[in-house]
Amino acid sequence: MKQLMLLAFAMPMLLTLLSCNEGGELTPEEVGTFQIYFDNKVGTSDITLEEAGSTSYDFETTGGEKFNISSLGYYVSKISLSGPNGEIYQDEVLVNASDAKGYYHVIEGTSVSQNILLENVPAGTYDQATFTIGVAEEGVQEGALGGVLDPANGGWFWNWNAGYIAMIIEGNALNSGQEYVDWGNGSETLAKTFSFHIGGWKNVPDNENFVNNVRTITVDFGTTVSVGEGLSPLAHVVVDILKMLEGASVDFSTTYSVHSPKGGKVFADQLDQVFSVHHVHQSTSGH
Amino acid sequence: MFIKARVGINKTKIFIICGAISLWSCQESVRPEDTSLVFERPPHFPEPTYTFDNNPITQDGFDLGKKLFFDPLLSRDNSVSCNSCHQQARAFADSPLHPTSIGIENKFGIRNAPALGNLAFMDEFFWDGGVTHLDFVPINAIESDVEMGETLENVVAKLNDHKEYPHLFKKAFGVDEITSPYMLHALSQFTVMMVSASSRYDKYVLREGTLNEEELKGLALFEVKCSGCHSGELFTDFSYRNNGLNTSFEDKGRALISESNADLGKFRVPTLRNVELTAPYMHNARFETLEEVLDHYGGGMVDSPTLDPLFKDGQQVVGIPLTQIEKQQIIAFIRTLTDEAFISDPKFMNQ
Ligand code: HEC
Ligand code: HEC
Repeated sequence: MKQLMLLAFAMPMLLTLLSCNEGGELTPEEVGTFQIYFDNKVGTSDITLEEAGSTSYDFETTGGEKFNISSLGYYVSKISLSGPNGEIYQDEVLVNASDAKGYYHVIEGTSVSQNILLENVPAGTYDQATFTIGVAEEGVQEGALGGVLDPANGGWFWNWNAGYIAMIIEGNALNSGQEYVDWGNGSETLAKTFSFHIGGWKNVPDNENFVNNVRTITVDFGTTVSVGEGLSPLAHVVVDILKMLEGASVDFSTTYSVHSPKGGKVFADQLDQVFSVHHVHQSTSGH
Repeated sequence: MFIKARVGINKTKIFIICGAISLWSCQESVRPEDTSLVFERPPHFPEPTYTFDNNPITQDGFDLGKKLFFDPLLSRDNSVSCNSCHQQARAFADSPLHPTSIGIENKFGIRNAPALGNLAFMDEFFWDGGVTHLDFVPINAIESDVEMGETLENVVAKLNDHKEYPHLFKKAFGVDEITSPYMLHALSQFTVMMVSASSRYDKYVLREGTLNEEELKGLALFEVKCSGCHSGELFTDFSYRNNGLNTSFEDKGRALISESNADLGKFRVPTLRNVELTAPYMHNARFETLEEVLDHYGGGMVDSPTLDPLFKDGQQVVGIPLTQIEKQQIIAFIRTLTDEAFISDPKFMNQ
């Protein structure tokens, strides 16, 4: 581990040295991998998903709203990396009926979904990642797609106002105004739950009625990491749900059921605060 | 006669033209390009909007889509198929016995099932425009409580367990497992081919036929009085408007999608192609006959904050006043939009 850490410090310097010396030491063909780990938190606390309807309130906002989380996730797409020396990497987006390459469905509690491995990243140093939360117009308007965008296979999709749900946060809140509802056919909404479904992707020029809640976020690493043969750095991204709820000044007694673009806007507007890089590793041996 | 679509399909076309000869000789070695079914854009129509690039039409895909369209397996209790509400003899609108559509367990929907036709040229679907791609339309029907009451997931499971479908999906798409996008693509291949452009009006426009004097007078009147909204060769500008049916709006219409009170009670301007066959009329099936529709335009409108300004003169609701003779002429013209070839095309029949 110590050696790895040493390597982590030494490598960038070495690489810059090499590239300064020759300017061609790292051929463009040289590639490596890069991993992004999405670590969902409430403030500094880890999230343990509760059963829907559970009244054990694990968290509290500074406004005194007690709540827990039963379901949490979001779509990440169009990932790119950039570096101080002009390095650019763009994750390939390739969609069709069989797959949706470049779209990732990060779901709390499913750890494989929280680790995104980018391959064929050109060797170099990187200090920023940019990605989109949600599925933008060009994705929606391709029509029916496979992979994580298949609504019959876990994809999050709104039928009535067709499009993908960018982010879902569900749980119970002590002050939730939600009453019990029986929808028939065995479907029900439990009392005291809240359900925030943040979607909406339409850009209609000069019509502010249509809310586009798809957001593109850039996170700074605060340092540089190197990609190259045998190097596989990782960015540990913290996704702080508390920032979202507090930023939106959520009052669960009145806001407990959000299922439309306009209702989701106040949450989407917090997204660039919610995602941040906690730290980066030069190697992927730990988080 | 018709020129071919420029989208997607043109690859096939070029291939056919350039490679026709070589294709015949080596048909066994390569999987032959499917040439039996081609989407054709009628020359007087706009460019299609459908994503043919993702979902090129093939005979196998179309046949599969047709089978699905007629199959009640898509509903929870195996009682309702797409065809239950979309019947060819009615230009794929609902039976007049079902003013607003009727789904599983005889549940009533709130809206009148529209005619299906020329879907390849539309950007938005449904009376409120909430669906922006043809592929996504069936999900709404399948999962609606008052239509088919089923889940997409379960339909896919039923298809995978079926004795014929796995083979048919393999044939159409080369897949070993059926997933929802392939099912939706098959349905779109069937519905997107529903092009209605062979009415007497079309023959007149394409200089292949004539209209009589009354019909021509109706056309001239229509252009002045109606084409502000029912414009172009599809007879709609695809905007959302309130034509004075109601003063309060249980069905919010376009406002469901835009979440704006400015859109309360606005519904998509419908096409008028085949409208002779699709009674009753309007999103809520208010009128039984075209005469009633024109009486409504003439003097039956009610005012509300979102009533279309075209129907007002200042504060006054004026509608579209028409004499009895003018009404008859307009209706005579509208009847020339009926496409007998379309509603009797064996391609779309369950056989
Ligand atoms: C229970 C009746 C019913 C069934 C079954 C049904 N539909 Fe519909 N369909 C409707 C109604 C009602 C609408 C209008 C919905 C609206 O505007 O909200 C509609 C709208 C549509 C449209 C959009 C047309 C337009 O001009 O916007 C298409 C396409 C369509 N249906 C295809 C299908 C297909 C494919 C199926 C089978 C998977 C199907 N429908 C099953 C009643 C039905
Ligand atoms: C200001 C726009 C506007 C004008 C002008 C207009 N319409 Fe309409 N028309 C609509 C809208 C919107 C609807 C659907 C309303 C609804 O269902 O709520 C409609 C519906 C109809 C329907 C029913 C179609 C169906 O499938 O149910 C007919 C028929 C019709 N119009 C004929 C006409 C004729 C004929 C004229 C000219 C005399 C005319 N319209 C002028 C906007 C307009």
